[in-house]
Order: sequence, then C-alpha cells, then structure tokens
Amino acid sequence: MGGRDTDIVLLDENGIRCDGRKVNETRKVTIKAGVLKNANGSAYIEFGDNKILVGVYGPRDVHPKHMSDTDTGILRCRYHMAPFSVGERKNPAPSRREIEISKVIKEALEPAVMLKEFPRTAVDVYMEVLQADGGTRCAALTGASVALADAGIPMRDLVAGCAAGKAADAVILDVNNEEDQAGQADLPIGYMPNLKKITLLQLDGVLTPEEYKQCIEIGIDGCNQVYEIQKKALQDKFFSNGEKQ
Amino acid sequence: MSDGLIIDQLKKTQILELLQEGKRVDGRQFDEPRKLSIDIGVIPKAEGSARARLGDTEVVAGVKIQPERPFPDTGDKGMLICTAEILPIAHPSAETGPPQPHVIELARVTDRGIRESGMLDMKQLVLEKDKSVIGIFCDNAVTDHDGNLFDACSYASTAAINSCKIPKYEMQDEKPVKIEGEFIEPPITTLPVSVTMAKIGDHILVDPTLEEWGIMDARITITSNSDGNVVALQKGGSDGFTQEELIKCAELSIKVGSKIREIIKQSK
Amino acid sequence: MSSEKKRHVIPGEVITSGPYRAEQNTIQLGENIVSTIVGLSDVHDGSVRVIPLTGGYMPQDDDLVIGKIVSHSSLSWTADINSCYVGMLPASDVFGRDYSSSSDDMTAKLAKGDLIAARIVNSDKTRDPLITVSGRELGKIDSGELVKISPNKVPRLIGKRGSMIQMIESSTNSQITIGQNGLLVVSSEDSNGLLKAIRAIELIEEQAHVANLTDQVKDMLESKSE
Repeated sequence: MGGRDTDIVLLDENGIRCDGRKVNETRKVTIKAGVLKNANGSAYIEFGDNKILVGVYGPRDVHPKHMSDTDTGILRCRYHMAPFSVGERKNPAPSRREIEISKVIKEALEPAVMLKEFPRTAVDVYMEVLQADGGTRCAALTGASVALADAGIPMRDLVAGCAAGKAADAVILDVNNEEDQAGQADLPIGYMPNLKKITLLQLDGVLTPEEYKQCIEIGIDGCNQVYEIQKKALQDKFFSNGEKQ
Repeated sequence: MSDGLIIDQLKKTQILELLQEGKRVDGRQFDEPRKLSIDIGVIPKAEGSARARLGDTEVVAGVKIQPERPFPDTGDKGMLICTAEILPIAHPSAETGPPQPHVIELARVTDRGIRESGMLDMKQLVLEKDKSVIGIFCDNAVTDHDGNLFDACSYASTAAINSCKIPKYEMQDEKPVKIEGEFIEPPITTLPVSVTMAKIGDHILVDPTLEEWGIMDARITITSNSDGNVVALQKGGSDGFTQEELIKCAELSIKVGSKIREIIKQSK
Repeated sequence: MSSEKKRHVIPGEVITSGPYRAEQNTIQLGENIVSTIVGLSDVHDGSVRVIPLTGGYMPQDDDLVIGKIVSHSSLSWTADINSCYVGMLPASDVFGRDYSSSSDDMTAKLAKGDLIAARIVNSDKTRDPLITVSGRELGKIDSGELVKISPNKVPRLIGKRGSMIQMIESSTNSQITIGQNGLLVVSSEDSNGLLKAIRAIELIEEQAHVANLTDQVKDMLESKSE
C-alpha cells in the first residue's frame, strides 16, 4: 500500500475515479470456462486489465506419498505471475508474495471444496497471471472456483473474489493498480455467495471502524456481482443447448 | 514432465502400422506441420507478446524491455534473453519447482534459435557504450502441451519480438530515462523459424504430436532464417540419425520453415 | 411426492427444500438440498440427486473398466483406470492362489502398456480399488482402437436399455467394449465401419446434452458420406 504521491486524480469532484468508474462500480469482468485441452478443468478470467489463466488437475494421485492424507483429499494451490505480467519484468522463480497469496487462496477455497470425498488424493489448482493490474488475488480466486466446477470437483458453494478499499478518503469497490499504489487501503475479499461466508480477507492500509464496515458491505456486494459472471461462464459452457462449446 | 510417458500398446501398434502405409494418425503428410495460428498483442501491457497455437499445443510469449548494464565483454551490444517454462496447467505430468533438464533444454534451444540467427541487430540497442543498453527478455509460457514445444516457442518468440515496440530512452545525468509515449521499431534483420522432426524407425515426421513424441527414437530441431540458412540445431532422443537423414532434415526444415515464416509475417 | 422438472444447477445452488433425501452430488444444508457439481438436478420419489455434466471416474463395485498396465510388483499389477485411484490386479487373479510368480512370469502375462478389460471388485476408498480379469469378456485386449470419452457421457452412449450402442454396433459392423471409466475399445473387420463408429462416439460426446441426439446419430450412421 503506497499512499504514494501521484499526479493521477484518484477521485474527482463528480465522484469519478481515475479509470472512469464510480465508487461502487467493479471493473469489467469476463470469464470463459473450459479453455485448456489437457487440464481437467480450466477458466480464463479478465478482471479489468488483469488476465489470468487457471487450470485444475484432480482429484489425482499424490507424490510424494507421504504428503497424502488417508482421511481426506488435499488442496494444493499455486498462484504464479508470468515474467511479462508486470511493469518491470519479474523473475520466474516464485517470490514470497506469490507463496503467501497461494496459501491465502488455498484457505479461501478449502471451506468450499469437499475434499473428504477423495481420500489419499490431491486437487491441484494452478493460477497463472498473464497480465496484472491490481486485485489479481481476487481475480485468481474467482477463476479458480470456476475451473474447479469445470473439473467436476464437488463444492459446497463457489467462492467469488473482489476487493474493497479506500482512496482519496472515499470507500471504493474493486481497487485497480493505481489506486492500490497511491490509495489509502486495500481489502481483498473472498466470499461464498450462497453460504454467505467470507473465506478470504486481508487488509493493507488504515480504516476507521466505520470505513471497515462499509468496505465489507460494499465488498460483499462486489463479490455477488462477480458471482453472476461465474454462473454465466458455467452456464455458457454446459447449458447452452445445441450450441458448440 | 518426464519424457517417458507410457503410451498404450494398441496406440503404439496403430501408429507404427499407419506409418508403414505412409500415413499418420491425424491424417497429415510426413512433412506437414499442424495448423498454426498466431495472435500478437495478447498481453497489451507488455512491450510485445504473441500466442502461438500449433495444433493443440499453445504457448504465450511476452516481451519485456528495460535498460540494463551490458555484459562485460559486449559493451557495444544490447541484451537479448529468451526463456521458456512449461506451466503446470499445460499437462498432468508438468511439475512445479526448479526446472527439470528437458525444460532447461527447451529454454536454451529457444534462446539460441533466436539469438544465433541475429534476429535483432543488437548494435542498434545501445544507450551508452559499456554503461547502459536495451535489455530484451522474451519469456515463453507453455499453457497447453500436445507435443513439439520447441517449434511452438520458436514461433511465439519470433512473432512477439517481431511485433514489439521498444520504448525510447535517453541518457540524462548518466541514467537512462524513458520518454513516455515514444517508441522505436525493433531492428529486425531476419525471422528465425525452427522445425522439429521426429524419427520413428526410418520415417521422419515433421511436427510430432505428443503421442508420436512418446514413441519416437530420436528428434532434431533445425532453425533457419529468412535467407534459407541454417542457424541453430539440436538433436535429442536416444537413437541416432544417418548422414542422409540429417541432410534431408535440413532441407525439410528450410522448406517447411519458409511457409511458417509467412504465417508469422501475416500476424503482424 | 411429485417429480420436479430437471434443472441446470451449479455448485452451491439450492435445488429444493423440505423433507427430501440428499443423494448423489447433493448435500443437505439446513432446510435446503444443494447441488455440489455442475449438472442436471433430478427430484424423484422423495430423493434429490444431480446428474453430472463433468467430472472424473470414481470406481464402483462391479463396474467394467478398461485399464492400462503401468507397473507391477511381485504380488500385483497396477493399472491406470482413468481415475484418481489406480486399479490393483493381484497376481493370484491371473496365476491362481498358490502360484509364486517371478517378474518374468508377470511381464509375460501382462506388460507395461498392455490394455485390459477388468471389473472393479472392491472400491473401498481407503485403499486402491481391487480389479479382476477373470470373467467372461475380461482380460488382455489385443486388438481394436482405444477411444476416450468423458465418463459422465457413458450412460448416453449406452442409451436406454443399450439402444444407442446397439444401433452403432449393428450399423457399423463393430464391437464396442464400454468401460464405465470412459475408456472404450472399438474393433471391426471393416475399416470404414470402424471410422464411422468412432465418429458416432465423438458425436455423442459433443452433443450429449442435446435433445435430438438419437436422431442426429441415426442420420450420421445412415449417410453414405465418408
């Protein structure tokens, strides 16, 4: 979280943000399910200028064997950014940031995925960020849920992701890259829309208790909007009658 | 992934029988590559990018350009480094973690194919001799694996570099400063294109699928440039080629390569 | 209780609420019966299930499966049965109870890469499922072409009381061994018939969700084109 000095006007006098959005508007989100040939399930998501490709393999055998659990399947997640996905080229080796995000996303998906159905196996979720523009972890989580459903992994609910935050003293929905760099707070949220539970929550920045409440409320609203796009992606692939998939 | 995938016996027998009749499983001729489609600019924020689809194999190449200190012995040349990675989404046996030897080979062959061809005139990419030069990274990410990653990475890289935009830099107070909104065209001298051939028995097959790769005896990747010269070579696999076979492979690579070169040119 | 119309559902969607039994691919959450996968909900006789439109194969007792031998120990072969669990074929199943087999004996009978038609004997998830090749029409597969489809399309391929598969076999002069795990072996004396049978199978995989699939397949089989 920067709070960096910037020439960019984060919020003008008409309540319009630097990319033309209003404070409670998400960026454009599109999701396509089933885009890879080899993966058991997959999804491609564009969340604003974020472009993320997710592949799921599993349930499958675990190697090395000692990592498997006799009572339940395990979930393994890898969030990874391509070297060309960010402004300054990133070294392909996993950074500490990517490792932390991988863990946080895994813990956001675990409440939803019914792993006890597959003892001694693993479900692998691989999220590749091809282009990053703020809010990649929420977008990756969103894509991962669709890829898991595409793979037929049983889940109690989908998990939708969207961040709330604060910039130019206003509570905003879906923080983009500039707002993340120069704004005052970034609160990524992962939410199960039917079970109404938050499974991913982090905060970078400073919020008053009132702002925190508003962020959660506006963030859940954002997640619900994102959920509609997830539903549509699955409907388009599986339920479009007679149309070529 | 290990190169030793277990192909079932029925499939192996089927492939060999068809080869004896002069046919391939997917109906292609022995010297015919799969359908290639290339889309450039798929990663708009990168300085250059391309997605190559060769049959069901898919690779995304992204070009990042930034000022770098030159290598100590080539202070009068810019830097060009190509890499390649098989993403774990690409195939069930693709692994995460430090790259295995066959992935390192893929990266290095891709790099040599682009660099040895002299695709970019590196002398034109100097900001200040011995101090600051333009560094170009072309990173390939394999997103779907159905064999012949060497060629898919070659095509994605060539297309991405061919269509990239190099930001303009000026030296100010001994430091390179980017001039926003201004770009220069990359100094392209030639378009390198690789063609990989698998040897199964006495048959030479251009652009093997993953199944053909699984039963091949040996393989060779030959990169040619726009003048029809051979610029890079890599032989792999556990068997050997005869002299005649090697000459035939070079001819095939130049012939097939020139058609692929047209597709890459069209993509810009 | 009446049957409700089949509905498209995704994971987390409520199918119905009230006194119903939550069966395959559903769970009970409070009052609601919720789908756990992408599929078609089926409410019938007081129970709710979801017919999957995607997902892998889970071994069930007595299922006929096609497997590929991937390795062996001195006591058993391991077979890839297109599932998250591998099939275990005990040596005694092939050699008899008291025969002590050497590695050469094992490989001579079934080697790496060989295909087998087998039946699931014990699908307890705490260990790899046991399979057997002793039985009618089970054993090593020597000829034919292996085709892979999504396991959840298998019921559609078989059809009501086998009507779909019989239609394909008789009109193309081929024999098709269907593994519940989505692997099939198609053989025919007639190479054109073989191709046609495989195309029919591919058509079913693509169009499984479409209502007039049977007519589409019938038309395709009857057409004179290659």
